[in-house]
Amino acid sequence: MRIKSALFWLATVVIVLVFIAPLVWIFLTGIKSRPDLLHVGLDKLFIFSPTLWNYQYLFQWTLFTHEFANTAIVAVASTALAMAVALPAAYSFARFNTGSGHLLFVTISTRMFPGIVAAIPFFFAFSKLGLMDTHLGLTLLIFYFNMSFATFLLFGFFREIPEELEHAAMIDGYGRIEILRRIIFPLIGPGAAVTAVFCLVWSWNEFLYSVLFTKIVARTVSVGLAALWGSIEIEWGPMSAGATLAILPTLIAAWFMQRYIIRGLTFGAVKG
Amino acid sequence: MTTGTGEARKKTFWQVLTSEKYYRWLLISPLLLTLLVFMFYPLFHSLYFSTQIYVPGRANVFTGWENYRYVLHDAEFWSALGHNLLIIVVCITIELVLGLAIALLWYREFKGQNVVRALCLLPLLVSPLVLSMVWDFILRWDLGVVNQILSAARLPQFQWLAPGVAIYSIALITSWQWLPFSIFVLFAGMRAMPRDAFEAAKVDGASAWYTFRRLTLPMLMPLVLIIILLRTMWLIRLFDPLYATTRGGSGTQTLDILVWRTSFMYFDMGVGSTMAIISLFLTIILCAILFRYLMKAMGAVK
Repeated sequence: MRIKSALFWLATVVIVLVFIAPLVWIFLTGIKSRPDLLHVGLDKLFIFSPTLWNYQYLFQWTLFTHEFANTAIVAVASTALAMAVALPAAYSFARFNTGSGHLLFVTISTRMFPGIVAAIPFFFAFSKLGLMDTHLGLTLLIFYFNMSFATFLLFGFFREIPEELEHAAMIDGYGRIEILRRIIFPLIGPGAAVTAVFCLVWSWNEFLYSVLFTKIVARTVSVGLAALWGSIEIEWGPMSAGATLAILPTLIAAWFMQRYIIRGLTFGAVKG
Repeated sequence: MTTGTGEARKKTFWQVLTSEKYYRWLLISPLLLTLLVFMFYPLFHSLYFSTQIYVPGRANVFTGWENYRYVLHDAEFWSALGHNLLIIVVCITIELVLGLAIALLWYREFKGQNVVRALCLLPLLVSPLVLSMVWDFILRWDLGVVNQILSAARLPQFQWLAPGVAIYSIALITSWQWLPFSIFVLFAGMRAMPRDAFEAAKVDGASAWYTFRRLTLPMLMPLVLIIILLRTMWLIRLFDPLYATTRGGSGTQTLDILVWRTSFMYFDMGVGSTMAIISLFLTIILCAILFRYLMKAMGAVK
């Protein structure tokens, strides 16, 4: 039994290390000086004198603060928009089986389409409408990117609310608005919160549309970091420092979502 | 309310909207509007462009099927599709096998299980782009940690992103990021399984392997299916990990990277649109099949 337990913990520790090592590596690289991080050999892997130089570089010589603010603005705006569209639609799909599954399929299929397919036409439309490199333009694209998935997630959550509750309320003379306010909203609350956090995380991490449709004004963190990577001399230090800061918000979200995340990801098929 | 007279039958606008017949459409109208703008406009625009020769700054020239013929005879297009399929098979195999093993390992209650699980969830939530950039650094030939550890252990260093190898490295990176998804879905499925069947098997003296093969696996099947379907959908659009490592070089070009290169680097929007339409067509077929299985699987679980 003892040996079995030791093996179990050995395996567990190895697995956890494999998962978090690259994340720890980002953090460590972010506080290494340039000679240390370009050092060949293992002696400077963990033992080095930490420096904040990379962070200084990031804030002084790049647009990081500006990009961080852009990412936050676009993430919040697109999430709000996605929820506004997805909530009533998901309710309609779940309660009335609107379009008998076909419409739901069309909605979901938008998320399965190659994002690049939509990019070409939007490239033309945005150039004409003056939406290139604007917050509004990027918000709309990311909203579209999140909307269908949010609808599907919420569809799963709405299905868990028993229909009988609404029937009973209707017999008691509740109107549509009252049913929504007194029965649906309180019950969908946690599911809606999880969906919103998913949307926030996805918009935060979005890259494809951001790199195609923003240049300076609405440039997001991932594009900025990719630019550090793509320059002639790769700026590993500042890039890792920026990555550390960019990851932080999603980590906070992860902590809150831990319990619900799997239920969300399996569309309510599993009650995790 | 008295019925019969025309006056009384006339409902207010609000009543009509919230009636049994129209309420569902009222609720769904923002979604329909969104689909109209964001889905059908790009679709028709791409269809139109796929029949044109596009040169920046000049008028388009109609070519009919020429672009389609070009793309379907383009070796690059087919190799990109092949890469997509290879990545899908490699990733899903790794994720299912390891995911199942780890879920079985952590099935029982143990001290600190919440911390362990929270830590393993992390890769899933971090930007794929950022993670891929980090992996690119880790796997670098000269400075990468992996090769330095290898040389410290007196083992030969390895070209992780060399042609022929790079595609597997990228599949590994992606699997690493998405393995937690499989682990957690399968884990949740195991927790939800009825206990009595397993107790009965125990009483009957069934071996652990027999129980796993005859009880655990069949009960997990719908979830395995969900994982396969969702991962296929996401992997067919793989873009970020490639952008941050090889940018489609070293024999790793996938469909989305190819369309991106054609349209936004060579600015050949006509051929790019054609590729997009064909890849869209393939995806729709796949999606339709997958969606049916998914709905069936969900019904079975529920």
